[in-house]
Amino acid sequence: MYGIIAFFRRYYFSLLFIVLEIISLGFVFTNNYYHEAGYFNSSNRVAGAVYSSYSGFTSYFNLQNVNHQLADENTQLLNLASQIKDTAIHKKILITNPFGQLYHFIPAEVIDNSTNLPNNYLTLHAGSEDGVGEGMGIISPLGIVGIVVKASAHYSVVMSLLHQKTLVSAMFKKSGTFGTLAWGDNKDYRFATLNQIPMSEKVKPGDTIVTSGFSNTFPKGIMVGTVDNFKAIPELYFYTIRIKLSTDFKNLRYVYVVCDIEKIEKEALEKDAQNSLNDKTK
Amino acid sequence: MIEAGKNILRFSFFILLQVTIIRHLDAGIYFNPFLFIGAILMLPLRANKTLVLIIAFATGLIIDMFYNTMGMNAAACTFMAFCRPWALKVYAPAGDYNADASATVNSMGVRWMISYASTLIFIHHFILFYLEAFSFHDFFSTFLKIILSGITTLILFLITQSLFFRN
Repeated sequence: MYGIIAFFRRYYFSLLFIVLEIISLGFVFTNNYYHEAGYFNSSNRVAGAVYSSYSGFTSYFNLQNVNHQLADENTQLLNLASQIKDTAIHKKILITNPFGQLYHFIPAEVIDNSTNLPNNYLTLHAGSEDGVGEGMGIISPLGIVGIVVKASAHYSVVMSLLHQKTLVSAMFKKSGTFGTLAWGDNKDYRFATLNQIPMSEKVKPGDTIVTSGFSNTFPKGIMVGTVDNFKAIPELYFYTIRIKLSTDFKNLRYVYVVCDIEKIEKEALEKDAQNSLNDKTK
Repeated sequence: MIEAGKNILRFSFFILLQVTIIRHLDAGIYFNPFLFIGAILMLPLRANKTLVLIIAFATGLIIDMFYNTMGMNAAACTFMAFCRPWALKVYAPAGDYNADASATVNSMGVRWMISYASTLIFIHHFILFYLEAFSFHDFFSTFLKIILSGITTLILFLITQSLFFRN
């Protein structure tokens, strides 16, 4: 017994060091935003407040760019709205894709953003009280941005497309051939890589890439970017294509959270079913 | 008591500087300075090393919160704080530190500060950037990043000291 106490007295500094390292590395290696109820991320009140007051100061610097983006988008939407009126198909402003998914969009302000880290995140000033939930896609007027990984009441953290773990299903607008989009080894905020495009596809630089809509995170047909260059991997019969992203990640100010209405409905239903099952077993 | 207050102020200053201004310098992927570790470097030379370890861990967690790098900065800072007593010993002047010496350029001189700070900055950046890259896959580009970011951190640290901590 005395030996143990003496041991701890002698090595407490090293032991404390080891304990703290195990705690931190435990955070690093088990960190999975979808399952961990971690408080230590920028969606908490302190970080959110610091970022939103800071972004209040700096928002003036890129206003001109942002205004242009919003004006362009308004023009597009007005054109779209006039088409809808002409054909009188839709009574409500919702986007439908061939699978019958319905989406609605929540506006959000970007209060923090980075583009130069190996894993980039955005912090939005919109949270679960505004309807933002984990797993929802984020788009900007110019194209896709990322996926929500954590939402608190008033803030949310978004895993940017510029993140090693972000994967998005994307396709050629002209042919519908789809593959997986990842930031991968680009380390450049302007480019990403589209993988698994079969060599039967006739790829040309400048071809438009849009989201495929397979994962319900993004509606079908949201702009991703254009083909910059490509190289063939003959043994796999695939192309690896470098995509010039359409989203200007350095000038993100206002974005939209994509809400898949049916997904929410489905989840609510599953929860209900679970609850009623639990009630019956009681 | 006044000493503790001063240290808390210094920590708040460095952390705010890091998460607002330094974080948004955005000079490309090779320049990611982490100036906030200056607050840990500037803790009193005779501070209890266990306390330093705990402070470093907590500071790392706060930075992780802002950077969404759960645990990475905490691990790097804890490791740096663990190495600090050793670094202090290696660079100790002949006849040990004066009783009133503090970890500033004014008190210890530029040469001491550069060797002490660059050693610990390198240790911190080494752990952090390899954890962040999550592999040794881009061994050399990560190493280049450690060197360039480390030099940037050191220069910013020296500038901050000469501007804000003159005595």
